[in-house]
Amino acid sequence: MMFGFGDEQNPYTESVDLLEDLVIEYITETTHKAMETGRTGRVQVEDMVFLVRKDTRKFARVNDLLTMNEELKKAPTRPPLPIICSRKLAFPPKFKIPRQVWVSNMDTVEEEKLGLIDLHPEVFAERPRLDIIHENVRWQQLYRHVSYAHTKMSYEVRGGGRKPRPQKGSGRSRHGSIRSPIWVGGGVVHGPRSPKPYFYMLGFNARLNGLRSTLSAKLAQDDLHIVESLDIPTDDPKYLEALVEERGWGPSVLFVDDHDIMPLNITAASDAYGHYNLMPVYGLNVFSMLKHTTLVMTLSAVERLEERILFHLNRNDAAEATAKYKLSSV
Amino acid sequence: MISTLGATLKYRSLVGTANQASKVVALFSPEWTTVRFRFHADKVAKGPVPRRFGYEEKIFKGGLLPRTSYQDKRLPIPDYKPKNSWNEKRALFGQNDYIDILGPSNEITQKTLHPTQLLYNVPHWLRGVKGNEYQVLLRKRKFVQKEGYPITHPTKWAELNVRIKKLYKYLNTKTKSPFWKHA
Repeated sequence: MMFGFGDEQNPYTESVDLLEDLVIEYITETTHKAMETGRTGRVQVEDMVFLVRKDTRKFARVNDLLTMNEELKKAPTRPPLPIICSRKLAFPPKFKIPRQVWVSNMDTVEEEKLGLIDLHPEVFAERPRLDIIHENVRWQQLYRHVSYAHTKMSYEVRGGGRKPRPQKGSGRSRHGSIRSPIWVGGGVVHGPRSPKPYFYMLGFNARLNGLRSTLSAKLAQDDLHIVESLDIPTDDPKYLEALVEERGWGPSVLFVDDHDIMPLNITAASDAYGHYNLMPVYGLNVFSMLKHTTLVMTLSAVERLEERILFHLNRNDAAEATAKYKLSSV
Repeated sequence: MISTLGATLKYRSLVGTANQASKVVALFSPEWTTVRFRFHADKVAKGPVPRRFGYEEKIFKGGLLPRTSYQDKRLPIPDYKPKNSWNEKRALFGQNDYIDILGPSNEITQKTLHPTQLLYNVPHWLRGVKGNEYQVLLRKRKFVQKEGYPITHPTKWAELNVRIKKLYKYLNTKTKSPFWKHA
């Protein structure tokens, strides 16, 4: 109470005791008075208000608290938990058991479990193949990489057309050009030539399986969490940090939503930290999932992700869709 | 050497009290036993044997950092500047690489974007291109000549053509093509 009024954070026990005595004394005194004013033997709110009517500050405070109480009563209450009880799986698995995960909220720091849903085992309960994950990460790093390291051949280096000295008679070595590769400042033989692309395209199925393997590994390691939505009550980065800390996520967290326009509050809050990142489902990839310790997905993101992966797993024109990459086909 | 040797006089034990003569002989013929009081610990405590006394060693033998006393020249080690592995570029590395799997498909063509279309860090004529130097340069020439490259970069344009010509000659005259395998 003393800290609340901007005093010392760690007050002396004596002063705390004193203050407590004063408050208790005041409360008993006013309650006794209230009992006398109204109907004897019962204390009512009106009696308390009547007692403090002349002290304007106290009266205003009591009024505030009472109206706030009324408003709180009027506010819509959430239906009792669990809110989310089931989820219908597309392409229901014949032999594998669906994975069950909790759905939690984001509007309080403390975790509330809003319900339990099923995840499709073809997407979230695959055997995590490390080799597939590795080849996906390698592909992601290399396919965009272009080396611009460059050296000049001797005919590209400026100058060197004139014979530096006569062939005979100088007593020195024979040379025809000062840009020959054996000269300092001359051309370079077998040096790097720019641009050198390291591009290659990993097969469609290898990438599809990379996503399934990584998602399954994340879930198996308790690094995949499902939330109802990414709505948080404030844009304060401290709130997001406290939330992540409280739930044992992180240190780095990747929040995935279905839509690429994220709620304003979480956008502003996560902007303060480099290691809290937002990503739409279509941007999700193996490298980011591995770079971030924890993956947090909204319910709609899970729906979309499962829909896309199951579509590709069960499509009829798979041969055409998974055909080998050709430059002309893109 | 002598100083490190100690000498101890040991008396022969008396065999019998009755034999006085042998006792006298024993008293006057002492047995010398040399004991070397030299311990390794003493040697270590004394420190190293001074060699080349008065000579000052000019080579630093103290371990790492050989130029501690020379303030004018620093060692050619760059300062360690840790990189921010969570800046925007690194934190979101790889985003949209699976857009052809996870992205929404076009309603009419039923096609999604391909990740090679989004390689904005690469020149447009190099996106999704795989090949050796000759193949890459040919493609470069094909694209950049339409964009005024010969006029804006005349020297580079000339070098590009020279390089392509030389590579063409080399590949066609000096190397085997796959079709030559059994020739």
